[in-house]
Amino acid sequence: MVCAAVSAGISPEYIEKIHQVRLKPCIAETLDLNTVVNLINAVTQCLEGTVIAEKGDMYNLDAWRVRSILGRDFKYPESLGERNAIELAHHISFAGRKLITEP
Amino acid sequence: MNNDKSINMKTAVLLLRENPNQAPDPYRMEELKGLAAAAGYRVLAEITQRRGRDHRFQLGRGKIQEAMSYSPGRLIFYNPLSPGQVFNIRSEFSASTIDRFNLILEIFVSRASTRESKLQIEMAKLTYDAPLVRNAISMKKKGEQPGFGGSGAYDESMYQDIRSRIAKIKAALKDVESMGEDRRQRRRELGFDLVALAGYTNAGKSTLLNALTNAGVDAKDQPFTTLSPTTRALDLSGRRVLLTDTVGFIDDLPHFLIKAFRSTLSEISEADLVLLVADMSDSPEILRLKLAASHKALWDCGSQAPIITVLNKADRLEQGESLERLAMVRDLAPNPVLLSASTGLGFVDLMQLLHQKLQPLKEVQIKLPYTSEGMSELSRLYDRSEMLDVSYEDQMVVKLRGKEEVVTRALSSSAREL
Repeated sequence: MVCAAVSAGISPEYIEKIHQVRLKPCIAETLDLNTVVNLINAVTQCLEGTVIAEKGDMYNLDAWRVRSILGRDFKYPESLGERNAIELAHHISFAGRKLITEP
Repeated sequence: MNNDKSINMKTAVLLLRENPNQAPDPYRMEELKGLAAAAGYRVLAEITQRRGRDHRFQLGRGKIQEAMSYSPGRLIFYNPLSPGQVFNIRSEFSASTIDRFNLILEIFVSRASTRESKLQIEMAKLTYDAPLVRNAISMKKKGEQPGFGGSGAYDESMYQDIRSRIAKIKAALKDVESMGEDRRQRRRELGFDLVALAGYTNAGKSTLLNALTNAGVDAKDQPFTTLSPTTRALDLSGRRVLLTDTVGFIDDLPHFLIKAFRSTLSEISEADLVLLVADMSDSPEILRLKLAASHKALWDCGSQAPIITVLNKADRLEQGESLERLAMVRDLAPNPVLLSASTGLGFVDLMQLLHQKLQPLKEVQIKLPYTSEGMSELSRLYDRSEMLDVSYEDQMVVKLRGKEEVVTRALSSSAREL
């Protein structure tokens, strides 16, 4: 699998500025919460700000529980700007995976 | 008189199951109470239980027995019920049972007045019922023997009838949708800016439409008063704007209900600007929750237009309190305006912001010949744009200001006729 992180400044409606994009490929036997959390921690290392991920990616846990597991500020997407940023990360990770897996 | 009325009212007990892994949310029960009142129910009791899902009754047997002790006309569950659970509750407790989705549909059915909204509601209901009917058929067919006593082809055809009715309604709604798209395009060509009023249910969208345009549309303090879009013209210091009131959003609205109301919601996705109305008198947590639900609905609509957040009912708060509340929802409120539709507070700010955010008008100079086509084009431009100057030389030289669509059409017709 491929994890993509987009470091961006966002307004309630739009992505204002993209600071950095990171991709991290990973091979794992199971996709449990620990694997996801380790991957997120690795890919967001040294990036400032709040981590935003989709609820399904974090096994529908409450945001405060994910915050305590990750050990940094975390929230689920609420505004259109946050949803735009997540959609962008999805496209990037999908394209990255395609680049790696397809000959 | 009031006593007679309360005796004739339908009665209900509200039930809510909270997930033990998630934080309690008192707003859910409040919302269910508001919906029940809007559907005309007198609430006898509110029962909440914190536990995992019971596969037979959704809640524990004891809680349902407690609800039945009030002798209600109906049990209303916040959580979605499976067909099996409805069957079990009906057969064990002889209680009429609905869930939140069916309660919303009940409100919609009682308020629907146009053919479009009736079709949308029928489609939502059939889409919801189809898998339940399929499930009921498969349960009935279990252990079926060949020959007499079997459910046969009749039950199967019931499911097919539902599917074909859904297909017919879809086709009818597609026509309505394309009519709406044509109408919007025509309005744009006529030089109108399209502005949609969107927001959580009971935020005051219809009241704002009435206050801005003297529309006289039905506006009440209850959820889902508006089910069909209503459009009225607004003169914005020379700019011609069409304001459209739309159906309100609600949290956890099933996706197929959004699909059924797509033609109504397309007014939002195709607008040039969206006025996102929110009720500022709600507590900060609920205001955040409602704004987040509105953002989700706008995302589902595919809206790309700029947004102005109208924080309505600001007159109910002190100035300092309003600003404090605004700071708490800043990340969910693009271009916020504090406003009161009932007192007129903040209207000047809203008008200024509308001017700023609407696409700027273009200024061009064109030449038209002294032919009948040239004259009719000039007449059309007088109707659809702001004429800055017309001079009659060897040709008519027209200087105008208007929307991009109007200007582009004027330029192409000028080039064609010369």
